[in-house]
Order: sequence, then structure tokens, then C-alpha cells
Amino acid sequence: MKAADGFDVIVVGAGHAGCEAAAAASAMGLRTCLVTIHLETIAQMSCNPAVGGLAKGHLVREIDALGGLMGLLADETGIQFRLLNRSRGGAVQAPRAQCDKAAYRLAMKYKLERMPNLTVFQGIVAKVLVTRGAARGVETLDGTRIEGKAVILTPGTFLNGTIHIGLRNYPAGRANEPPSVDLAEQLKKLGMRVFRLKTGTPMRLDRDTIDWSSFTPQPGDAEPVPFSYRTSGHLQNKVICYLGYTNAATHAVVRRNLDKSPLYGGKIKGIGPRYCPSIEDKVVKFPQRTRHQFFLEPEGLETTEIYINGMSSSLPYDVQREILGTIPGLDKAKIMRPAYGIEYDAVSPTELLATLETKKIRRLYLAGQINGTSGYEEAAAQGLMAGINAALSIRKKAPFVLRRDEAYIGVLIDDLVTTGVEEPYRLFTSRAEYRLLLRIDNADRRLMEYGWELGLVPKNTWKEYQEKRDRVESAFSFLRKNRLKSAAGDSVTLFEHLKKPEIGLRSVLEYGKFPGALSDEECRHIESETKYEGYIKKQEREIAKSVRSDSMKIPVNVDFSKVSGLTREAIEKFEEKRPATLGEARKIPGMTPAAVQNLSLYLEIQAKREVSRARVSRGT
Amino acid sequence: MLEDTIIAISTPPGFGGLGIVRISGKKALAVAGHIFQPKKRSKKSFPARRPVFGTIRDPERETALDEAFLTYFKAPRSYTREDVVELSSHGSPAVLEGILRLGTGAGARLAQPGEFTLRAYLNGRLDMLQAEAVNDLIRSVSLTQARISSRQLGGSLSRRIFRLRGKLIALLSRVEAGLEFPEEKLRTGAPADRRTIDSLAAEVERLVAGYEAGRALRDGLTLAITGRTNVGKSTLFNALLEEDRAIVTPYPGTTRDFLREKLVIDDLVFHLVDMAGLGKPAHPVEKTGIARGQKIARDADGLLVVLDASRKESGEDERLVRKYRAKKMLLVFNKSDLPGKIDRRMVRELAGGSPSIDVSALKGRNIDKLREAIRGHFAPGPAKEEDVILHARQKDLLQAILEALGRAAGLLAKGHSVELYAEEIRSCLPLVGELTGQVRIGEVIDDIFGRFCVGK
Repeated sequence: MKAADGFDVIVVGAGHAGCEAAAAASAMGLRTCLVTIHLETIAQMSCNPAVGGLAKGHLVREIDALGGLMGLLADETGIQFRLLNRSRGGAVQAPRAQCDKAAYRLAMKYKLERMPNLTVFQGIVAKVLVTRGAARGVETLDGTRIEGKAVILTPGTFLNGTIHIGLRNYPAGRANEPPSVDLAEQLKKLGMRVFRLKTGTPMRLDRDTIDWSSFTPQPGDAEPVPFSYRTSGHLQNKVICYLGYTNAATHAVVRRNLDKSPLYGGKIKGIGPRYCPSIEDKVVKFPQRTRHQFFLEPEGLETTEIYINGMSSSLPYDVQREILGTIPGLDKAKIMRPAYGIEYDAVSPTELLATLETKKIRRLYLAGQINGTSGYEEAAAQGLMAGINAALSIRKKAPFVLRRDEAYIGVLIDDLVTTGVEEPYRLFTSRAEYRLLLRIDNADRRLMEYGWELGLVPKNTWKEYQEKRDRVESAFSFLRKNRLKSAAGDSVTLFEHLKKPEIGLRSVLEYGKFPGALSDEECRHIESETKYEGYIKKQEREIAKSVRSDSMKIPVNVDFSKVSGLTREAIEKFEEKRPATLGEARKIPGMTPAAVQNLSLYLEIQAKREVSRARVSRGT
Repeated sequence: MLEDTIIAISTPPGFGGLGIVRISGKKALAVAGHIFQPKKRSKKSFPARRPVFGTIRDPERETALDEAFLTYFKAPRSYTREDVVELSSHGSPAVLEGILRLGTGAGARLAQPGEFTLRAYLNGRLDMLQAEAVNDLIRSVSLTQARISSRQLGGSLSRRIFRLRGKLIALLSRVEAGLEFPEEKLRTGAPADRRTIDSLAAEVERLVAGYEAGRALRDGLTLAITGRTNVGKSTLFNALLEEDRAIVTPYPGTTRDFLREKLVIDDLVFHLVDMAGLGKPAHPVEKTGIARGQKIARDADGLLVVLDASRKESGEDERLVRKYRAKKMLLVFNKSDLPGKIDRRMVRELAGGSPSIDVSALKGRNIDKLREAIRGHFAPGPAKEEDVILHARQKDLLQAILEALGRAAGLLAKGHSVELYAEEIRSCLPLVGELTGQVRIGEVIDDIFGRFCVGK
């Protein structure tokens, strides 16, 4: 299949990574083809019916500030909204939404189908076409060849997937959907390090067979906070989630049936995520706990399916039923879809450049679970970056790489490509060195200009952002100009006053009679900037310093074996990569901070010697 | 640099019964094999860790230099984790240097000072604290210090720092888990955090306090001998050192510059400084000497204030004692062999109750008692040996941790949000990492999953 004169970008897989990649590339004006196994399952949420949470909600905000789709669609199809950590500071607050899965899927499909430059195509990709070390297209199982200038692979759990339920297993990428086996084989043949990961999903129950009075309601926020800067209008909570607990009888059932678990029976070799433990894992690893919590979450408005968050399992179906039988309120619940575990292939992300292009094959990009991550948000963020970088590469423009101090996206990708992964990687706020700077309330300030320059942010969104920036500035100058008398009689600026932990911005503005009007979003931003001021300044200084150090040039003729204190391994790595700057040296996989420090010292000393030698030769 | 095979004499310089030459690196065995001939000629290879008897031979001249034992330590089971060969021969400098010459001729390079230890550190055999301890052990001047160094080499300080690190990680993992998993209703919270922060701070503080004691052991204490001119400072100096180090004359102002000598009492090192007496300078040189002396007295760890007991205390004496009363001092009433005129009680009171002792430096009377008094009065407090931290670098890092914990406690007390004091606790991790030469960022996250059952 060919577009009139070929495609630019071919995206394989239409999950959360693939959709963002295809949308970004086509929005940047490149002729893009999105190939997926079933058009019905575009943007399917394979596991929980929710978007966001700590660090993940941060990612969605960043995706949105760069012009990506996930936030906008989560708002559009959200049925319950919560801002987590409301009682804590701005840096650790993040939005989370329960979404209507079917609605999300359709909304994404609708959007993609109407994007100029984008062709959506159904097919199972069996092979990447590679000529002279560069990806030049793909071929589907039925032999259709699709040619292009760059290929982005986002196969998710479909890459050589195997579903486990009890001691039975069968090849699949998602329940009853065929996996991509040939593609996995080809990646191995191309010399990429491929390894096995594992994840799982809980059962889906029939809403009408649950006794809801046994559980504690968990309503959404009274004032929902949207993900997207582009969402206008009020968001509405349409469903309620419920909280429940397992009990000793549940755990006894699990323990009695461990021999039927593929995980404990040794059938599953892949490494599972510790932050998403199955009920088997919870019972085995925390034997002292008498109960574990779970949440009952509706999968949508048009369906009676209920997702039971916290009950992921790969035990056989009859054991799953027995487990539910021990929980009052679920004892009569009917399982509509059984829980299962899934093993799949991933490519070690140390095979990638920071642009997500593979080191071995030019113009071949990988994004999402294939890079060892888990989570819709992590996938979407990588998809967006891969799409942008594929487009930039074809346009022969400089790559777009975010630093760790600029965005969680930068932390995520840097962790992947420099450290690699051992278990499915999930982002946490603690992974960021500069957590107080990377907030949901300033994602637009951090990133929207990039999105605008890349051509991904619509004009009216950019204009609104600039107006918001002006409003915020005027509020800051108001806070710095106006003063109030404290109880002790001394006068402080409103800005200083607002720094106190118990003081909120609204009351301060009211007191000072601020003439303008600010949205809740803007208030949260101003509060964070004020309360964190000292830390922000300090961290910005640190960043400036490290950016300076990163840009330090390493002379091409430097003899790394002369650098004292380097291990053999470090010398070999430096010799092999020949980094041009200290920043590049730091990014070499497995490089220790101490080695970079030693190199930096050596370069400084050499530079000083150079200067004194020059003086001597001039006779001064 | 690690590619080279290095060689050095590892026994102290001078004549000794035995001398050891150590070779480390990939070619250690080849170098040794080239210059060492086993007695049993049939022996073609050297078993690890078993001494083999033979002779050191000059391969070119075919002459024997000395008899020696060769012991081979196969990598990584050696001090440097590289192949190491120790040649132990008779301890004459000529023999040892001969072996060095042969060794370098056979392809080894002379080691730089501390290079064996550096390699042990770089190859992961020692952590940084242990490497520093080895260095101290080699240079240790006193028994106590040697004992502490050897204990740190065994890793007692490392273990304490690792415990501290573990506790910090546990604290942070609790704080972080509460932030990352707000829906899990984990048992985390400010009051417990506060208690942990306080107990951690107390522990770090103990380590920091040990530093002063450690510094005294490591560097020794500086004691300045001060007093008016002609009270017998230099005589006392010589008497304490038991040698005529300073020139002594009956004329005031003989000592114009200062002299510095090491005095070891039991296992403590003191740097004794003799300097120009205070008084009206008769000469410009003496004037400079006095100015310098005052600076030394100000910076010294303690003062021996010498007074002439045979004369009534002068205004000069009183000014001197008053001036330094804030410093740790010991009053030495010299010339006690002569009839006494000085008002000892008055001077002692002026000196803020400092102890005193009567001596006659000239006659050598009470000099042993003076030594005891110096040891007793100036020796560092009763810090436990394992508390002692020997390096300024270590102390600075611990001090920085202490400050961060203090800020965390302050933020918590004022009711600031968790992520702010978390920031302070987070800032401690790289500092602890620097102490032990290891940094791993993912450890906190690992700890969370070991401790809490979290996730969907």
C-alpha cells in the first residue's frame, strides 16, 4: 500500500503510544500511516479504566502542554475526577480520572480519522523493512508492503505475548487477540537485546450481581480539575467508585491454590511490576497483613462491567470465583471476564537514543511497553516524543529531547535509555531530582512554547496561555507590592505572608482587594511558586550549574587512560563512545557519577595547564 | 593507568630483618617469574597463597641477588583485587632496591604513593572509608590512632554509616510512599516522621562530635609555650623534648622566631611550639617574632603559660593570662627551685581557674608530672573510639546531613507540607552516598515495595 508518493512516518500499533505518535507526526505535517490489528480497539485501555495519578497525571499534563491528545480525551470521556493529594503541596498534587473505556476508544478513533495527513490502516505487521541500516517501511502478515521514511513500533503486550490463566497458557496480546510473534523474532535477529516481562489484569464483574451496600463509596471531587489546558466547560462526575477489603478467608483460598499459580508454579519467567502486585503476590509477600484494599470501578456508562482494582491474578477461573466468594458483597458476583497474567517481549531501552530511535537501525523508533514501561501515560509520553522526533529527523531538524529538570517526560526517557529496566518501569515523582519544579500547575510554562514551536499546540491555546501568563504576572507584582501588618505589628508583603503554610491565596487577594480574577488553576500555580520560592531558586541555581558543566567540551584527542581514578570499564566506555561534552559522558549507560567527576577534574586541570603553558611560551 | 603492573617496597625504609616488595597488576606473575628462580627447579607454576622459596636473580647477568620467598595472590583474592606477588627477602635497602630495579626492568612500573590502596578502592575491594583508613594506618603515629584505623579498615565506621544510610532510606521511603500512594491509606504521618528525624539527627550529631577527638588523634594538638621573656620557655621546651633543641642563653629575647617539635605523650601527639617571649622588643626582628607568636598562641589548641615563680607577678604576666583566659591553658610555674615570690592563687584565679604545676625546667624537676598534666588537661574528651571520625571530608558531609535534618525538623514543626521536608531528607542521600562511595537512586523505591503493599 502506498500513499500517492509514499508515507513519511509509519506507526505500528494504535495503543496509547501509537495514537500519540501518529497524531503528533501528522500534526507536524508528515504523511503518516497508523497500522493496527483491529480498528475497533484503537486506544483500548487494556487494564484499569483510569488515567492519571501521581507522576502519571503529571505526564498527562506535560503531554497536553506539548499538544498531545491524552489529557483532552480523558477530560472528554471522564466519568469521575479526583485531584490526588489535595491537602499537600502543589508539587505532589495530580489529577486522576475514571474514564468510559468505550467512549475513550471512540473519541480517539474519531479524532485520528479526521486528522489531515493521517491514514488509519488495519493489518498485522510481521516485519520492518530495513535497507542499509535504516527502516524503510513495514510488511503485514498478508504481504502488504507499506513504505515510509521512518517506522515507530508500539506493539505493547502484543509483542510475542502469552496469556496465563492457571497453568494453561496461550499466545495472545490481550484476551483472545492474536499476538505479534514475527516482529519479536525480527527484533532479535536485528541484534536487539530482547527480554521477557510480565503483567496482569483483574477480573471484570457484572455490576448487577454486586451487593453495593457492603462497600464504602469513594465519590469524585466537588470541583473537578481537568487534565487539559484545552478543556473548557465544567467536568461532571457521573459514577461513584467503591472501596472494599479482602479478609483472612480470601488469603486462605489464595494460599491453598498457589500451586495453580503460573507465577509460583514457575510457568511465568518474565519479571512483573512490584507496584502492581497480583493478589497472590500480596498474600505471599505480606503474610502479616490481614486484609488488602481494592476498589470497584465502573468501566463505562453503557456497560455493567466493573473493574476490581487490586485483584489482579493469574489463578484459574474457578479459584477466582472462590476468592470472590469469601468477600461479602462480591460472593454472588458474576465474573464477566476472568483475570489473567500476560508475558510479553520488551527490548532493552538502552538500545535507544534519547530520541527513542534505535541505535542499531536508523529511523526505527520504539515507544511504550516495548521499552519496558507500564502504564498508559508512560506509553503516551513516549509515543508523543517518538512521533515528534521521527518527524524532526525526516525534516532534518535538531532532535527534541527534554532534560530531567524540564519535565517528567525527560526523567522517564532518560531513566530508560541510560539505566535500562529490570521490571516494568513506572514513573514516580520521587524519580525526579527536581520534584518541586515539575508540577502540574506549571507544565504549560515549562513546555507549551516547545509545543507551539513544533506546531502541535493550536493557536488559540497558545494565545490563552499567554493571557494566563500575564494575569499570573500581574498577581505576583500585586503580591510583592502590597503589604499587611502582622499581629506582631511588623509589615510584610502579601507575598511573604502567603509563604506561611496555613495561608491560601484567595484570602490574601481578598484582603488586598486584588482587582483581577484568577482561576483555581492559576491560584494553585501562584501558591506553589510562592510557597516553594526558596527551594525553586536553589534548584534553579543547581540546574544552571549542571547545564554549564554538561556543556563542558571534551577535546577530541583526550587520552582517557590518563585520567586518574577511572576504572577500566569507564575508560573503555569513554573510548568507545568518545563523548563530545561532559553531558554526553554522563549519559553513557552505566557510567558512574564518580567517573564523570574524575573526568571533569582532569579536564579542568588540563585546561589550567594549557593556560599556564601559553603564558610561559609568551614569556610572561 | 590500571593497565600497568606496579611495584614498590612495602616495608618501611631503612634496615630491617625482612623486606617485602609487592607487585600488582596483570603482569605481576610474569614480572616475578622473570626475576625469581624457585629452589625446586621443576616448579613451573606458583600456587596461590603458598610461599615458595627461591632466589632473586638478575636474568641478564645470571647472578643471584638474595634468597627470597615468593607468595602469589591470585586475582581477585588479593589486596588490590588484581594479581599480586609479594617477594620477601632480607631487609637491606640495597637488596630491596635491587629487586625494584630488576622488577622495573622486567616490565613493572614504580608505584606512586598510595597506589596499591587506590587500586583496591577502584577495584571495589575497599569502600572509600576503608581506603582512607588504610592510609591512616600506614601513617598512624600513635597506638590509639592505629587501633581506630584498623577498626575502620575492618569497616566499623562503614557499618555505622551504612546503618545510618539504611535508616535514612527507611524514613524517606515511608515519607515517599505516603506521597506516591495517597489512595492506599498507609500508616505514614508527621508525628512518626518527626521522631525518626530527631533520632537520626542525634546519631549524626554523635558522629560529628567524635570528629574533634578524631582530629586530635590524627593531627595532634598544637600547644604554644607562651610567657614573658626570660621566664625559661626554651629551657622548658628542651626539657619536655629531652634534647637541646632551642638555643638557651641567660639573655632575654634569645628566641626570636618560633620552633615547632613533636612531643608524644603516651599515645597522643602534641606539637610543641616555642616562641619569642612577650615584652618590650629590643630589636625589630624580635618584634616580628612576638607578632607571630601571638598569632600562634591564638590559633593553638592549648597554651602552656610559663611564669617565673621566683619573681612577683608583673603587669605583663597578668595581661597575658587575662588575654588568653578563654583558651585552654595550663599554668607552669617555672624556676620553682628558687624561693617563690609569685601569688599562685591570684594568677590561677586570673586564668579562670586553670590548673597549674610547679616545675624547674633547668633542674628537670617535675617534668614527668608536667607531661602527665599536659596529657590529662589537653587530651580530647572521652569519645568512644568507634565514634571517632578521622577526616574533615567525612565530618563536613555528616555536618551537611545534620543541617538538612535540622531543616526538615523545622519545616515539619511549622506545619509545612510533606513534600518540603521530604526534599530535605532526599538531599541527605547523595551525601551519605559520598561517604561510602556508592550512590543508588532506586533504593528508596525498592524499599517502598519491600515495606508497603501498594499498587492496584
